Amino acid sequence: MSNFYNMPKLPTENSPKVEIFVDDKAVMVPGDTNLLEALKAVGIETPHVCYHPYLPVSGNCRQCLVEQEGPRGRMLVIACYTPVTPGMKIFTPASSARVKNARKATQEFMLVNHPLDCPICDKAGECTLQENYMEAGQNESRMRPEYGKNYHGNPDHQFIDAKGQVRGGKHVDLGPRVLLDEERCVQCDRCVRFMRSIAKSEQLQLAGRADHTYITTFPGEKLDHEYDLCVTDVCPVGAMTAKYFRFQKRVWLLSHTPTISMDDSLGANIWLDHADGRIYRVMPRCNPEVNRSWLSNTSRLAFQGFNKNRLPAMGFNVIKSAMGEGKVAVVMGGACTIEDMAAARMLKDSMGDKVELFGGSLLKVSEPDGIAKSGDPCANRAGLKLMGFADVSELLKRAGEFKVLLTVNADLFGEDAAAAKALEAIPSRIAFSAFNDETAKKATLAFGIKHWSEVQGTMVNNLNILQKLNACPVCPDAELRAAYDVISELAGKKFESASAAFKKAGEYASVLAGLSYDTIKSTGKLLEGGEA
Amino acid sequence: MAECVKVCTQNFGKGAQDIEVYKKLGGYANISERLFNMSQFELIDYVQRSNLRGRGGAGFPTGMKWSFVPRGTGKPVYIVVNADEGEGGTFKDHFLMMEDPHRLIEGLIIAAWALGTRAAYIYCRGEFLPCIESLNKALNQAYAAGYLGENICGTKFCFDIFVHRGAGAYICGEETALINSLEGQKGQPRLKPPFPAVSGAWKSPTCVNNVETIMSLPWILSHDPSEYAKMGTPRAGGTKVFCISGDVKNPGVYEAPLGTPMMTMINDYAGGVVGGNLKAVLPGGSSCAPLTAEEAAVATMDYECLASMKTMFGSGAMIVINDTHNMVDLLNCLGNFYSHESCGQCTPCREGTGLLHRILNQIVAGQGHDGDVELMQSLCGGFGGVTICPLSISLGGPVGSYSAKFRADFDEYIAKNPDHAKPRIQETYRPGIFW
Amino acid sequence: MREHIQGAVQFVANNRLKFDRPEQPIDALPDPGQTFGYVNKPVPQPSTKELLEKLDTPEIKARCADLLSRYPVGQAALLEVLWLVQGVFGWVPREGIRWAANVCGCAPAHAFGVATFYTMYNHAPKGKFLLQFCRNISCTIKGAQSIIAYAEQCLNIKTGETTPDGLFTLLQVECLGSCGNGPMMLVNDDFATDAEGDELTMKPGTTLTKESFDRILKWCYAHEDNMPKHDVLGGMVKGHGGHPGAPGATAKPQVADYAPPSPVLCVKAEADETGATLTWKGAPEFTKLVVEKKDGSNWVAVGEPGVKDKAFVDAAGKVNDEYRMIATSGERVAKPSAVAVTTQKPAPAEEKKV
Repeated sequence: MSNFYNMPKLPTENSPKVEIFVDDKAVMVPGDTNLLEALKAVGIETPHVCYHPYLPVSGNCRQCLVEQEGPRGRMLVIACYTPVTPGMKIFTPASSARVKNARKATQEFMLVNHPLDCPICDKAGECTLQENYMEAGQNESRMRPEYGKNYHGNPDHQFIDAKGQVRGGKHVDLGPRVLLDEERCVQCDRCVRFMRSIAKSEQLQLAGRADHTYITTFPGEKLDHEYDLCVTDVCPVGAMTAKYFRFQKRVWLLSHTPTISMDDSLGANIWLDHADGRIYRVMPRCNPEVNRSWLSNTSRLAFQGFNKNRLPAMGFNVIKSAMGEGKVAVVMGGACTIEDMAAARMLKDSMGDKVELFGGSLLKVSEPDGIAKSGDPCANRAGLKLMGFADVSELLKRAGEFKVLLTVNADLFGEDAAAAKALEAIPSRIAFSAFNDETAKKATLAFGIKHWSEVQGTMVNNLNILQKLNACPVCPDAELRAAYDVISELAGKKFESASAAFKKAGEYASVLAGLSYDTIKSTGKLLEGGEA
Repeated sequence: MAECVKVCTQNFGKGAQDIEVYKKLGGYANISERLFNMSQFELIDYVQRSNLRGRGGAGFPTGMKWSFVPRGTGKPVYIVVNADEGEGGTFKDHFLMMEDPHRLIEGLIIAAWALGTRAAYIYCRGEFLPCIESLNKALNQAYAAGYLGENICGTKFCFDIFVHRGAGAYICGEETALINSLEGQKGQPRLKPPFPAVSGAWKSPTCVNNVETIMSLPWILSHDPSEYAKMGTPRAGGTKVFCISGDVKNPGVYEAPLGTPMMTMINDYAGGVVGGNLKAVLPGGSSCAPLTAEEAAVATMDYECLASMKTMFGSGAMIVINDTHNMVDLLNCLGNFYSHESCGQCTPCREGTGLLHRILNQIVAGQGHDGDVELMQSLCGGFGGVTICPLSISLGGPVGSYSAKFRADFDEYIAKNPDHAKPRIQETYRPGIFW
Repeated sequence: MREHIQGAVQFVANNRLKFDRPEQPIDALPDPGQTFGYVNKPVPQPSTKELLEKLDTPEIKARCADLLSRYPVGQAALLEVLWLVQGVFGWVPREGIRWAANVCGCAPAHAFGVATFYTMYNHAPKGKFLLQFCRNISCTIKGAQSIIAYAEQCLNIKTGETTPDGLFTLLQVECLGSCGNGPMMLVNDDFATDAEGDELTMKPGTTLTKESFDRILKWCYAHEDNMPKHDVLGGMVKGHGGHPGAPGATAKPQVADYAPPSPVLCVKAEADETGATLTWKGAPEFTKLVVEKKDGSNWVAVGEPGVKDKAFVDAAGKVNDEYRMIATSGERVAKPSAVAVTTQKPAPAEEKKV
């Protein structure tokens, strides 16, 4: 479609409020946005298929129709493309039969050539068409069988099924991670717009025209991009499905834990969708300031390793004795939460100058990609700085001074074996780690702790936004404990809960003082005065 | 039949494809001091006073369209000539470009002077290769004669014309789709606003004008604007090139003043109906509502009269139908056409035109049922005003009006199905092995 | 960690079945097309080497450079470059689409979308003579369907098919823009209702009949080896400098002052007891307006209305006073407007119009 679609303007907290008339009732709505968002802000949901707040508006599904009073009488307009103007008069299905009928008609057209395979469709339960059907459609079918269906499909994939009906391609291998069902596609072109405008790599395109339109890559090429799984998120129907999640779980059986992806310092907001004590998929969680609604494949598929190669829990007394005498270097990795750091600070308080605190990662920092990755694999680098941790490169220079190395979620040997070789000079190496990684293997004592997906905590991302992690109940071993729990016990004052640890963190970092978990919104809290 | 002033078709059959012949016939006389001493504003005002309305179908006043173009923005202003003529029954641009390409070039120079255009594009549909050849030949001659290129006739004015060959898409006749196509994209209409006059091709102000509109300009400039305005109706000036096709003795292109009675066009210009009695007339191309013989007897060919009869003037393409035809067959043609030409953008048009076509096919194949017509009418209700461009209504309108005015034809076809009265089978959709 | 037997029912509680699945994604089943058979046969594509041999020629390069110089953005030349590919092969092979995309600097997927959107690009080889019959409303009225049936019978193929000797492909297409000659047809790129001597013709008033179709077929057979070849883009135009700023273009942008500055138009003066009221039509680019009044043989400035003003009142104005207005647009002063002689204002009923 046209290259020149513009991004929608979304309302913010600072949007000017203007008065418009919805169904003859005056309401105050954000004035600098489109009608669809404005109506949403006052609680009126408008069904839509092609509109996506973080994609350019193409306005082709025609589902979000409302009536607007204009100089030439009441006209149907699409809410997603109509800007809010003060005093405009809008009519929704609540008062206008014409809008109701128009939406119903559009819904009917959308389903004319759409297969009725909801029972075996992976999108069922979170399908926009299903939702809109309940909202706007509910038509009884008026089609005779002899009118037939004209399934959308690539001519290269079309086949004739057992009933003699021409069908489009089913589970077409679109790329290494995405499968396509051509028949289910409703030509909303969200994926096209995503690949073109967000991923900046136009690999998908709607080919053909009229009711022979089908979605395709260039013939012979595969959809392959760091963000290609996002097309399965934006797909309103079950046309694009992720191979890793296909037929794994019905979506209504999944529980959702909102948390933060701790593999990048942007801290992409995610949902961990879990059931039966394991994570089934990771979905981006909308945060306008951070990752909008995008998530890289790396962050999304990382969950597949969360329950593999784990370290077992150990008796606490073993560590206590292993600490021994001599100087202790504590190294906290990027996946450590503020709570873990508060516990480490407390350890330093209790043991005095014997303990020195370091943090960071030996991995290279790359450039931000402008979508959902900052390029810095040390997720909580800002938090480490805030809590007064020296960089780990400092430790490498002074490795000889220490007798004990305590690494917490910091796989130094795995990240850069050559640089970490200096640390082998430290005789006693204790690794607190979720995984049996290189550092754990090289350690004199490896102690299993909970993974970041299983703990509650906070992190500060590279935009200086304090974000909250929630514990997903998928810990493979009930014996495992969170890092802050273990370290605080080591320090002699065991935290009762994560919130107590967070409160303690306020004593070490003034910007955190006075905050509690309840005051951090789901989209995080921008820290004032702190360094980004 | 009164002798009519020929504005666009005066050089037909005179070999005006050659620049020397065209100049002998008075061509390029406008590209002179008179034009060069006119300011842009004066020229636009001049065209506004001539009451020229766009000849592509929508009938928007040309001078007003030009006056919307913002000036002094620093962006180039483009003129795109819409030669993507493809609506059933319309064939005037084909012959205008074949017979008199230099008039189009001359008109474009005038339009470019009014708008400050540096580069204009003639978007010609792909099937018209002979027209493109004729235009390119004329362009080569015009460049050689110094009417195009840098510093035309010693002025500071520079102007180039390029011919862009389309590749077969009726929807590119819609101006924003045409711009998309010119930009090398799929010809799908854009959301409006912004209108092309403000932000069109490559986000610059763009005027999209029909071939005939541009070709009227040389005559208007060499005469007084009031003289042109006088020829038409109060709200639309000038003459119009009518295309008459279908069941008439002499189908073809005829130039006549606006407001000519329809029967004069059919009987005097086109030689009368042949093969039977007059059944219906489509006054403005295939997408308009038909007029029955009684209505045609009182209709005049202008924007207002036809609008008052709930049809439209469109591009002035009259299709005359005699009583040997069943209207359902013709509607099936339209279903074929519009479902094939839908750009596939808006849901109602993409899926709806195809569905209507399948239902029409069923009726024509003798498989129609009672209630099919009502279903089609109801489906067309879902087209009204909900899509980006009016293509869906171009099929929805005829389905509604044909079935209202010629219901007997539909019933005749439906009666051919022995089971037409059987209720719809509430068969549950049972797909094959693979869903 | 719990160890479960994969795939087995673990327990049943609260009417909810609980399964434990293998964690590996389920492999896709084979494409149903392989089971049932595809509708369309794959089109054999030329090899990339063969394709580049035909496309990387000096003539094609010169054409592409000419096309790219015509548009401000390379992508705009996509349709024309695809035409060049079709001109070489008679159809657009897939790698040809990629080649065109590279020439125009756009994504191959975009070019594929474009190439499949427009119906005149053939995606499979066609016969030597592509016979396209119009089936739209005007031609149908005049009997297109019987001509098409006759053509199918003559060539012994159905619409969309190619004759076994590779000579003819028969297509039904939508309106070809020659309804006055309906029914009519396109033979490759030539409109035809008849063949006379060595040429296909479409004279005004002629229509395609069974006899004339026979003559056209005869013409085709006669020209099997010496087919008249059209340039796909209708020939090159020489002398243009391209679009300003485009690669290879020599053209410079339009200068702003090519035309004389805009004067004030439609100046009208009407006098009543408050003086003379001037109305006029102004251009949006005006920066200054001066009203002058004739005093003997000299013009004296009497006021400077704002450029957005609609009217100006000269309190001293009387009937038969002569006024003119001079507009300035930026640096440039336009010629004075036409002189307006003040008239008596008519009855106040018309005052609203002003």
